[in-house]
Amino acid sequence: MKRWHYLLGGPALLLLIIQFVPTELPAVETDNSGDIIASGIVSEEVTKMLKTSCYNCHSNETEYPWYSHVAPSSWLVARDVRIAREELNFSLWQDYDMIEQLEKLDDIYLEVEAGKMPLGIYTLVHQSAKLDDAQRKVIIEWAEATMDVIAESEEDAESEEEEVNEE
Amino acid sequence: MKKLTLLPMAAMVGLLFFQGTTKPEVETAPNHLAMSPDMPENIKAIVDQKCYGCHNAESKNEKGKAKLDWDAFEASKKSKQMATKGKIAEVLEKGDMPPAKFLENKPEGKLSEAELATLMEWSAGKKKKTE
Repeated sequence: MKRWHYLLGGPALLLLIIQFVPTELPAVETDNSGDIIASGIVSEEVTKMLKTSCYNCHSNETEYPWYSHVAPSSWLVARDVRIAREELNFSLWQDYDMIEQLEKLDDIYLEVEAGKMPLGIYTLVHQSAKLDDAQRKVIIEWAEATMDVIAESEEDAESEEEEVNEE
Repeated sequence: MKKLTLLPMAAMVGLLFFQGTTKPEVETAPNHLAMSPDMPENIKAIVDQKCYGCHNAESKNEKGKAKLDWDAFEASKKSKQMATKGKIAEVLEKGDMPPAKFLENKPEGKLSEAELATLMEWSAGKKKKTE
């Protein structure tokens, strides 16, 4: 065997072997009745941005590209999507309680404002998911306004409760 | 197989698990805390003593400041305060604050059980309507 046999054969063999490491990509669900968009608190403009820049990881509607089925990139995709959904899953929005929704909107505000989301490694391969400054502004303004709406509706609900109790 | 050929692969695999971490900076001298008048006195006292050292507007601990700034908390809207309190409750529940690394150098910074309970009740409790 010549030197180049080792140079090419080694990595190729390794690549082949690692395909047998079990990796489970988080499942795709298309029927999400508790989705944030279905809840009616998202404008059309923001809906579009969430779908193109966030939903691949932060929802149950992940569209897996071909390389997410090939190790080692599959490991990264599986891990990132799993963690992303644990942190924030737009498909399960209506399962979150009021405080959780406020926390998540506040996180959206902070992450998007700081340019931390969408992740650089993601936009590197998904150029269309990039958000420019104007888009970021729209998202953080939406997040802030929505937090106020949620906090206020809770107050209303509480005062109604009190009224009922008084009666 | 030659070891050299494995190196690039190992490096690639290793990269997948790489996560940027920031070193916590220890803040020693807490400044004075001027907080919102509607914050209960007992909460103010604990925060001033145990949290404010890192979580203030002038903090050199960038991460601590970014996560929570008590000076900004005071001025923020109700919805933001509610979100922040929710996050505080979560962190306290997990026992993540004050950070273990910080406590290594400053064990007296640890929250007593009573302080922890007080902070948790305040941060997790639903706000009461007064009017």
